[in-house]
Amino acid sequence: MSWAVDNRAVKVARMQLINKWTFLGIPAIILTGSFLLSLAVFAVIPVPDAPKYSGAGQAVMWYFFALGIQSLTLTFPFSQGMSVSRRSFFLGTVGLFAVVALVVSGLYVLLGMAEVATKGWGMNGRMFALQWIADSGVGVQFLFYFALMMLLFILGFWFATVYKRWGATGMLVLWLAVGVLLVGLVALVTWQDWWAPVGTWLAAQGPLGITGWSLLFTALLGGGAYLTLRRATP
Amino acid sequence: MSAEIIRVDGLTKHYRGSGDGAPALDGVSFSIEADKIYGLLGRNGAGKTTIMSILTAQGFATAGSVRVFGQNPYENERVLNRICFIRESQKYPDDFNANHAFKAAALFFDNWDQSLAMRLAKDFQLPLKRRIKKLSRGQLSAVGVVIGLASRAELTFFDEPYLGLDAVARQLFYDRLVEDYTEYPRTIVLSSHLIDEVANLLEHVIVIDQGRIIMDDDAESLRGSAVAVAGQAARVEVFTAGRTVIHREGFGALASVTIDGVLSAGERAEAAELGLELAPVSLQQLVVRRTIKGAVDDGSADGAARQGTKQGDTARMEATR
Repeated sequence: MSWAVDNRAVKVARMQLINKWTFLGIPAIILTGSFLLSLAVFAVIPVPDAPKYSGAGQAVMWYFFALGIQSLTLTFPFSQGMSVSRRSFFLGTVGLFAVVALVVSGLYVLLGMAEVATKGWGMNGRMFALQWIADSGVGVQFLFYFALMMLLFILGFWFATVYKRWGATGMLVLWLAVGVLLVGLVALVTWQDWWAPVGTWLAAQGPLGITGWSLLFTALLGGGAYLTLRRATP
Repeated sequence: MSAEIIRVDGLTKHYRGSGDGAPALDGVSFSIEADKIYGLLGRNGAGKTTIMSILTAQGFATAGSVRVFGQNPYENERVLNRICFIRESQKYPDDFNANHAFKAAALFFDNWDQSLAMRLAKDFQLPLKRRIKKLSRGQLSAVGVVIGLASRAELTFFDEPYLGLDAVARQLFYDRLVEDYTEYPRTIVLSSHLIDEVANLLEHVIVIDQGRIIMDDDAESLRGSAVAVAGQAARVEVFTAGRTVIHREGFGALASVTIDGVLSAGERAEAAELGLELAPVSLQQLVVRRTIKGAVDDGSADGAARQGTKQGDTARMEATR
């Protein structure tokens, strides 16, 4: 059974790649475009000594958030028309995304190394080798980028699944629930006077710890997204 | 006797948010045999798409059971990969054109015939490289029709496949369907409310109205199952007395009454003697008359048992009220 199922999951991944632009072309353009633009901005800023930070490295990650939403709202109904089970759709889509995220993470690490080696592209710019993360080893950097991209994709995917299944009302309830949960946590920490220990704990996590926690959170969200998708209709 | 490939028992569907309104499907039971063309007929909103959605595990039943190829289709790839169902409101990935959609279909449908797809696309003058979201309603329907036909799935559903197609394109679809079906027999379920147009294609007819099945019979036996008697009103009344009247029309002294049932040779001779004209009733008229009769009976008698349904099922109807 697993062969047949997995084979169809692989076909789902291939289906997502039929139009090369969506998963490959557009991310490549965003990455190159934001990189070149940042270089131009670095060149324009007339301060040679201070490091210049650019958030352009995030651009691709936000595109993946949008891609997570779109995979579900349009590609899921199409896959149903192709007689694909929800399970194969989920495995194929998330699997393909994981591969793309691995490649992009590798690229970020390489670009970060190049950035350090060229002293910020000769202009003291900081785009990929952000201090906090660049001090960690290559492995941790790689994992960190991967975890971040997976988190954003799954977040978009799950929100879209909730919308698909329970409509605008479901979305509203979900946001309210998230809001209440966050406010509740803040209130709890404040009343118990836990801010100092929380701060210490966060600082102690470091990049690897944060990566670990976001991977765990992503896995939980992924499980939630799958269970929600199991009863979603196109 | 061909093999039964679909078995539906007591299928009921309530849509969320419809409150205590009528269910979309109300205890529907039927079966479908292999290698025939079925017509799933009924008005808009009668429950046709809901049935097909549940059969293909795209939708969920509130109650009742569905067996396709002997198994539950839900998340069951061994059943699903023998089925093709392109909805009337099928969605496609945002950046797909028709070529992309056909490539995807080629991945998933084992019997996919690319040359047939290309030929059909040409027949329908389908722009293959234009984004699907920019296509007209008719072209969008054509994409679905091409996928449905070229998939050659063992069990293929067409959901109002002609929306937006002009008369020529519709005829092309019917012709290609018959051609390809003759060469590669398979089970086809065609949902439609343009009954006259598809009547000649159908081997079996299932008519659904307000979530209930009101007819389920061979197209052949349905064609002879009612007769219209026309002539002088008084004579028509005499002749049709005691019969199940489906429809009655009057034009002054003349009347035309549609009755259920087959007339014997003797009865035909009697009608001729009375100067009455007997005319066959088309499938569309039959469906329209039965549907309207059902609606009238339903509304008039305050929950009294509805008559004229083939299934009868008075007890069940009472129980659900």
